[in-house]
Amino acid sequence: MKSWLTQHSQALKLVLSRFKANLLNTLFICLAIGVTLALPSIMYTVLSSLSGLANNVKSESQISVFLSADQAVDTATAIKAALEKNAEVKSFKFVAKEDALKQLETATANNNVLSSLEQNPLPDAFFITPKNLDAASIESLKNDLAKLEGIEEVVVDGAWIKRLNYLILIGQKAMVIITSLLGFALVAVIGNTIRMQILTQQAEIEVSQLIGATKSFIRRPFLYLGALYGLIGGLFALFITYAVISVFNQSLNTLSREYQTDFSINLPDITSGSVVCLLSLVVGLVSAYFAVSKSLFKNIN
Amino acid sequence: MITFDNVTKRYPGSHEALTNVSFTINQGELVYVTGHSGAGKSTLLKLMAAIERPTTGTVLINNQNVSKLKSGTLPYVRRKFGLVFQDHKLLYDRNCYHNVALPLSINGITGQDAGKRIRAALDKVRLLDKEKAMPITLSGGEQQRLAIARAVVSRPSILIADEPTGNLDKVYAADILQLFNAFQQVGVTVIIATHDALGNSQNEHVSSKILHLNQGRLVKAEVAV
Ligand SMILES: Nc1ncnc2c1ncn2[C@@H]1O[C@H](COP(=O)(O)OP(=O)(O)O)[C@@H](O)[C@H]1O
Ligand SMILES: [Mg+2]
Repeated sequence: MKSWLTQHSQALKLVLSRFKANLLNTLFICLAIGVTLALPSIMYTVLSSLSGLANNVKSESQISVFLSADQAVDTATAIKAALEKNAEVKSFKFVAKEDALKQLETATANNNVLSSLEQNPLPDAFFITPKNLDAASIESLKNDLAKLEGIEEVVVDGAWIKRLNYLILIGQKAMVIITSLLGFALVAVIGNTIRMQILTQQAEIEVSQLIGATKSFIRRPFLYLGALYGLIGGLFALFITYAVISVFNQSLNTLSREYQTDFSINLPDITSGSVVCLLSLVVGLVSAYFAVSKSLFKNIN
Repeated sequence: MITFDNVTKRYPGSHEALTNVSFTINQGELVYVTGHSGAGKSTLLKLMAAIERPTTGTVLINNQNVSKLKSGTLPYVRRKFGLVFQDHKLLYDRNCYHNVALPLSINGITGQDAGKRIRAALDKVRLLDKEKAMPITLSGGEQQRLAIARAVVSRPSILIADEPTGNLDKVYAADILQLFNAFQQVGVTVIIATHDALGNSQNEHVSSKILHLNQGRLVKAEVAV
């Protein structure tokens, strides 16, 4: 146990001293890794915020049922009874045309135009929250409702959500592809950097093997090096993600205030931040392992 | 403690560097491996130090058959030896102290404990005042002594030196041989390869064994007193 600790702290100390020795180089490599990782990280953050938004709106999504203008008095009562029986309906709200007009007046603060109208142009309406929010259920509910007596129009106000969801899906696919491509690039960059390091340490590696260093002793510092490159690169990526999204959110806030919503992109939380760092650490470790196995141990058995 | 039995070594794409070599070296002996350049001295030393494996025949180190060892255990066998390489193999990117530190760090010895041993080894080869100097600034004899300090710092029971006096003038060479004699006096097995004809006056009072190689064959194994 103790010797295990010594071995690892020894390797770590060695790596850190080499880090310090070429600080500028190290920072540059880590920055390159950070920039590479920032792109998928930003994409992920934006996409997950958008799909959060889509879910949020979906749960508020409604079916609006407008009654025909010249209906009998008890049509509304009959529809109410039908809605109460329908298992697909979670809840509903009835808005009489008089109330609708009042709402419109307060919302527009313009009584003149409305009072100049001879009669109320608005229909009575039911606003229904469906139980199941998937596209198929909503569609079948819509068809059921359209069959009811005295109904002018059934409107599902979730069409744009469908579109948003498709966009998010496309975005997610793009993200997966870009992430894997960049992952390969990262493995190449880190692997190459480590191979260069191995070259500069060739003499030491050779002597060490001749006087009894084990393969893992020689491999260990380079694995640490790769892991540290990954970790620091991951931190850089998080930092860049934070900065970029904060800048975006400023403009988004202004924009969304115009639309009276408060949508902003969530900054990465502890969990997703740790995932980014861990992933890039693992990528660094794996690239180092391949680089070391490929370029070491050639001249000696 | 080291036994060669009918050992033949052929490098890939090369003729036999050693042919049917058999001998035994006991604990505490002083052994010279002699022969012309290309006779197979370095090959013999590498086989002893478990750096190379024999093509045929057996090499026993402390009764362990090197050919039968897994490659994962070879490093631990190598650590029993202190090696002085024909070309020093000093590391020119670090000072004397850190050159000597290398074998200790391979053995997991660091910190104060290591510091003491490194200074003791440097002291033995009279380089204590050069601990911070870079190897490139040392003279040929001093570099050779530094290589010896690195070889003995982990207190090996066997010291192997490949032509340690090769490029040195007479005074330095005598000095280096004196050092090896001193190690042998305290019980270390010392094995030295050399291409010059032996009989250097300094060693006449030390009993030693001579393994003389000619074109890969052991032609003489004699004990000189
Ligand atoms: N790594 C190697 N690959 C191929 N041939 C080698 C190798 N090392 C040594 N030899 C050959 O083996 C023979 C003995 O070499 P060596 O043991 O170095 O002799 P010495 O040390 O006595 O000069 C030489 O002919 C040399 O060319
Ligand atoms: Mg030689």
